[in-house]
Amino acid sequence: MSYMNTKETIAMLLAGGQGSRLGSLTDKVAKPAVPFGGKYRIIDFPLSNCVNSGIDTIGVLTQYQPLELNAYIGSGQPWDLDRLYGGVTILPPYVKGKAGEWYKGTANAIYQNTHYIELYDPKYVFILSGDHIYKANYNLMLDYHKEKGSDCTIAVIDVPLEEASRFGVMSVKDDLRIHEFQEKPAKPKSTLASMGVYVFTWEKLKEYLELDENNPDSGNDFGKNIIPMMIEAGENIFAYEYKGYWKDVGTIHALWESNMDILDKDKGIDLDDPRWKIYSRNAVLPPHYVGEGAFLKNSLVTEGCFVEGTVDHSILFPGVTVEPGAKILNSIIMPRAKVLANANVEYAIVMPDTIVPRDTHVGHIPVPQEEDGGITVFSGKEK
Amino acid sequence: MENVLGIVFAYSDRAAMRELTKIRTLASLPIAGKYRVIDFILSGFVNSNIYDISLITTNNYNSLVDHVGAGRDWDLTRKIGGLRILSPFSGENSIDGVYKGTLDALNRNLGSIKRSHAHNVILSGSSIVANLDYQELLEKHIKSGADITAIYTKSMNGGKTVPRGVSVIEMDETGRIEKLKINEDDSKIQDVNWLLDIFVIKKALLETLVADAISVGLADFHQDIIKRLSGTLKIQGLESANQFFEISNIRGYMQANMNFLKKSYRDKAFEKPVFTKVKDSFPTLYKDGCYVKNSLIADGCKIAGHVENSIISRGVRVEHSAVVKNSIIMQNTDIQGGARVEYVISDKDVIVREGREVIGHEKYPLLLAKKSIV
Repeated sequence: MSYMNTKETIAMLLAGGQGSRLGSLTDKVAKPAVPFGGKYRIIDFPLSNCVNSGIDTIGVLTQYQPLELNAYIGSGQPWDLDRLYGGVTILPPYVKGKAGEWYKGTANAIYQNTHYIELYDPKYVFILSGDHIYKANYNLMLDYHKEKGSDCTIAVIDVPLEEASRFGVMSVKDDLRIHEFQEKPAKPKSTLASMGVYVFTWEKLKEYLELDENNPDSGNDFGKNIIPMMIEAGENIFAYEYKGYWKDVGTIHALWESNMDILDKDKGIDLDDPRWKIYSRNAVLPPHYVGEGAFLKNSLVTEGCFVEGTVDHSILFPGVTVEPGAKILNSIIMPRAKVLANANVEYAIVMPDTIVPRDTHVGHIPVPQEEDGGITVFSGKEK
Repeated sequence: MENVLGIVFAYSDRAAMRELTKIRTLASLPIAGKYRVIDFILSGFVNSNIYDISLITTNNYNSLVDHVGAGRDWDLTRKIGGLRILSPFSGENSIDGVYKGTLDALNRNLGSIKRSHAHNVILSGSSIVANLDYQELLEKHIKSGADITAIYTKSMNGGKTVPRGVSVIEMDETGRIEKLKINEDDSKIQDVNWLLDIFVIKKALLETLVADAISVGLADFHQDIIKRLSGTLKIQGLESANQFFEISNIRGYMQANMNFLKKSYRDKAFEKPVFTKVKDSFPTLYKDGCYVKNSLIADGCKIAGHVENSIISRGVRVEHSAVVKNSIIMQNTDIQGGARVEYVISDKDVIVREGREVIGHEKYPLLLAKKSIV
């Protein structure tokens, strides 16, 4: 005998992006595995959002530098995703029949894993990405999707007009029905930007993935191909307006700024929320030690740190050492890095496992129009 | 690799611990900011590749079970071996499920012990903080050909005072134990061998010894095995060079905690990972105007005041202009604005209201019971 077991909703998390605009930060790891917020990684946000929204079946599509990301996710236990049925599954590209192939685009990646999705016979599929910092209850979006009788619902956020050309923007009617989608337009017709969060009725998505796959000219991308094709065909596509903190941390400046936002209550991102915890794989480290001569101000410090210097408006990741006389201002010091005596670090991201030598100066007050927004990435001298 | 079963007597409690062990066993007493005493014992086993562990409990073990759960955070959810909690087994001769002695405790759990495939057993009490290499103890035990190896130390608590009730041993030149006596007073004794509650023994021998002892009404491992059988069995003393801290009274507890403020001690204690229950707390936020010096601070705290020479557990709030000195502050305690706390051990969920002063003495720290409001 056997038991029928299905899931109404599952999520597919696109985590294969290289994140080339993050420079040396993604030399060795995929963008979703980049450390964030003192003890998290970017991928903790969509994973925790799923779990907190009651979605317990997640396929994580990996391609670029997957080792660290795979090891990080492991059995999914830190997110409560080690389940008998469902849970988290890593989906790398694989060989089929005679020819193996890489994921050609976001839509192709989902298409190639159709069999995984069908294992659970879902009604709805969320397509998420591992590039964004936000807290969202996907259930509310799903309710909206059902209410509207939608085939595809796209989460949108209102952005300033001058920034709109960096995103996929949606033109909507009064009932929020999407009638036009522009991918990174020079002259945006709307300020509603896509958050990279979609929910599809699986039957419809499957149909369009197959159509897209049969079109040799397609780039096999959700934003560029699938969504415009569905609009063209007159399917029910609605925008779901999200109000809250959301940030694409695709650039060095955005990553730095989003980390700094955590230190500022007014920015609207509260990670210390017992009702909406962000889960992560915790390093096994003792509490941090603050020594004589330390000066701490508006900063986050976590386990395994050893602080004897000055830390002002900065974030220390697990296992960081700050020696006497060292000064850290408006910076992010990633796991296990050491800032040696009398070194000065400002407006910088210090990479994991690096050493900032004694008496050196890293970073400077940013000047507008500078590359990377004037934020210095310190990747020098590894331990 | 040798197959070993670790058995921890997780029920030691001490009257001298006052309110701290009324609501929990000594094994689940918070220590060093984010740990419980049992974490050091369990991590020691796991770091020594011993993954088959039984915890013998009697009463007050809610907090212990709540802490260890199925043992996942110690990597002890195993198909082969793993963590077992042996809850009290009341029999005709026991009173309220409390064992008459360590041998009685073992006897009542003999079924579970017999089922293990291990050849050797390491027995451990739960009132000592140390990060031991159990594999090394086992190797020495096997090499010496002893029936039982009993671990002792000369440097307990870094001091020379031996409290009442501690077993002290004397050995011949080969290290074989000849005498065991219970210390009767708190006098300062030089150079004694303080018997720890850690023994290595073949499982088959343990089973026989327990059955024999129980059949003639004997109950205590120190008295009725080590002392009584020292003439017949080869019971070897083995000194461990580790630093040990016994938690037998409030001062000892304070000292065991404060040791973690010393870098040399901390480096040694955390040379290998010490596992504990994962809480997914946010990092600690240091606000404008805080002043922090020589303190060990866990995640999830909000510090806006003055913290000095203290151990701060997870989720503690020290508000603006509050002062915390020479204290142990346990989980989720709230020290409100302008309050002053010195030489205090504050149990979990305590609130010290605005402007209140709670000041103990170095020799007699003040204890704030769980959930109390000052």
